[in-house]
Amino acid sequence: MKRNGIVRSLAMLAAIAVVVGACSGAATPSPAASAAAPSAAASVAPSAAPSAAAASPSAAPKQYTIGYSNGGGVGNGFREEQVCTAKAQAKASGSVSNLTVIHRNTDAAGQLSDIRNLIAKGVKAIVFNPNDPAALNPALAEAKAAGIVTVSVDANVTDPSTWNLTNNQVKYAELGAKWLFDQLGGKGTVWYTRGLAGHPADSDRDIGFKNVLKDYPGIKVVPTADGVFTGWDPAKTTQLTNDFIQSGQYDKIQGIWASGMGKQIVDAIKAANKKFVPIVDADIGGFVAQLLDPTNFPGLKGAAVTNTASVGGAGITLALKLLNGETVTASAGAKANTVLLDPVLLDNLTDTGKAGLNSWVSVPGMDLLWPLSLSIEGWTTYDPNTVPASCKGA
Amino acid sequence: MTAAAIASRQRTLDSVVATARRNTWTIGLLGFLALLLAFTKLIQPSYGVAAVQGLGIGVLPLAFAAVAQGVAVIGGGIDLSIGSMMALTSVVTATAMQGQGEEFGVAVVVAVLLLGLALGAVNGALIVITRVPDIVVTLAMSFVWAGVALLVRAAPGGGASHWLMGLATGSFANEWVPKAAVVLVVTVAIIWIPIRGSRLGLSIYAIGSNRPAAFRSGVAVGRTRFLAYALTGLFAAFAGLSLTASTGIGTPVPGPYTLESVAAVVLGGVSLAGGRGGVFGPIVAVVVLQLIATDMTFLNMDSNLALVAQGVILIGVVMFGSLIQLRRARA
Repeated sequence: MKRNGIVRSLAMLAAIAVVVGACSGAATPSPAASAAAPSAAASVAPSAAPSAAAASPSAAPKQYTIGYSNGGGVGNGFREEQVCTAKAQAKASGSVSNLTVIHRNTDAAGQLSDIRNLIAKGVKAIVFNPNDPAALNPALAEAKAAGIVTVSVDANVTDPSTWNLTNNQVKYAELGAKWLFDQLGGKGTVWYTRGLAGHPADSDRDIGFKNVLKDYPGIKVVPTADGVFTGWDPAKTTQLTNDFIQSGQYDKIQGIWASGMGKQIVDAIKAANKKFVPIVDADIGGFVAQLLDPTNFPGLKGAAVTNTASVGGAGITLALKLLNGETVTASAGAKANTVLLDPVLLDNLTDTGKAGLNSWVSVPGMDLLWPLSLSIEGWTTYDPNTVPASCKGA
Repeated sequence: MTAAAIASRQRTLDSVVATARRNTWTIGLLGFLALLLAFTKLIQPSYGVAAVQGLGIGVLPLAFAAVAQGVAVIGGGIDLSIGSMMALTSVVTATAMQGQGEEFGVAVVVAVLLLGLALGAVNGALIVITRVPDIVVTLAMSFVWAGVALLVRAAPGGGASHWLMGLATGSFANEWVPKAAVVLVVTVAIIWIPIRGSRLGLSIYAIGSNRPAAFRSGVAVGRTRFLAYALTGLFAAFAGLSLTASTGIGTPVPGPYTLESVAAVVLGGVSLAGGRGGVFGPIVAVVVLQLIATDMTFLNMDSNLALVAQGVILIGVVMFGSLIQLRRARA
């Protein structure tokens, strides 16, 4: 009877194999639903303006398989939207026969093996949002040896043969800080709420914030010169804001600089029945909706700086340009092999600002936690209205 | 053939059967791994040497973590601080090695292994002395070690000796044998096999399978638990070192290794009730889990669905495992 143990285990493991097979069979991509009339598309002007219609030759375009690796932030608005724009752009380009997306929460070591899996799959290009600037280099070198084009989006990597395409985070902070300090007439106390400690985008924003702060000697920063970290965590931000208000510190500030968690901060201020102070944050859906809602948020003065998640889609375009042998020029002032996208700022104080904000919120199906600017001139060719529908499916 | 020869052959056969019976689960898992490799080759005909190398490096940190968890679970405990100990040992390694010579790197590795032993010893001492349940102490200590890791290094960075990174990459003897796999098997064999055969090893199994009985048979329960956790810390340090070896940096925020190590231990045939199983089963389980993830990439499977599938597989395995144990108990 005992020998049956082996047989039973094998049968059981075979049953697991069937389960795996069945699950993978179920992963059919859902059809893109949205075919709504394209509405006014928000656009972000890139600093390195490349040729307009990206990679669209008149003849049947060459077909490529592309891999996409995102190693963190599953469920995070920015990361989710970034993956959606990559899928939308792959479809819109007409040059991507297959896009394999690995989108999971992992560390640098895990992303290394994700990239190696994509190499093993034999894709022609790998677009990825890196978990670390240097840790992925071994796999990136293997990709180069295999003749694979690599593009890092949203953050830079040090690998010399990889192209970087990122939002200019220094400028993001500069634009917002300048707007805010000018609102205060160059005098007052500002609550400096940051993102995730040690994250490259957060460090770059800190550089930009401090660049502008130097020119405004009348501005004081609390709780410390280095601000407070929200970790880009909505729940933690709400807690922080509540504590800030309860301790009476909120009553002593004149403005808030935020790094993407503005909605939670504004909600907490409203819940505490406090008067709003001017606030600058990113172009997140929920925050922009608050800026455009004077009924529920009376007296809220604010500005949104674009931090487009469309770097995912733009990364696909950059990879296709490189695969097709087109010349790509690095942005002025950036490191070699680096394209920087410049942010824009819109506030709810001017009519042009309000019109711009309104055009952003017109795309249907956008999540409240997503950045709203969806198009990057020269880098994305999809209809922004198709992005929310592109998220589903492989 | 003489009768003696037949008898001797029978004895060999008996011992092979006995070994096989004891390792039924691991052998079944190896069979599944072979099936999975064949399936992988089928859906991705280009799967070859480079991919096997990648598999070797990819499994290294979690495999060591699974061994660490295996020791704790066999001893009737559980260690939820493994991921944090890995983060701490990894940042200490990367910080100490940055800009230093290759020889200094050897000293760092030795020091970090001792550090791992010490971290595990602290966990074990707290559990034995305070009598607070293992799960509570190690959960609490996971925050402590993660906090200390952030104190050592607020952001990812640092460096690694070239020889350390070289240990994990490339092949050994044959291009199909990843060096990482050799490092893993040799390390675990050198440390675990002698311990398993020793008094300490027997005591670890004994307290895991029935603590009061072990106590009445004269096993020093407190000391054994303490040493088991120290050993867990040592293997966690190996896991942390392999993180630095594969990435060249240290990351202070713990990766998903704690719970994945529990998953690997369960899939590897170690009973969560303790006292049953070994550490090689969990290693095979880690390879299986990694290969399933690879296959899901090859099949273009939605990553979120892949996560669901992994959970379903785990539940399935635990259910079938308990079923088999129940039927065995009845037989």
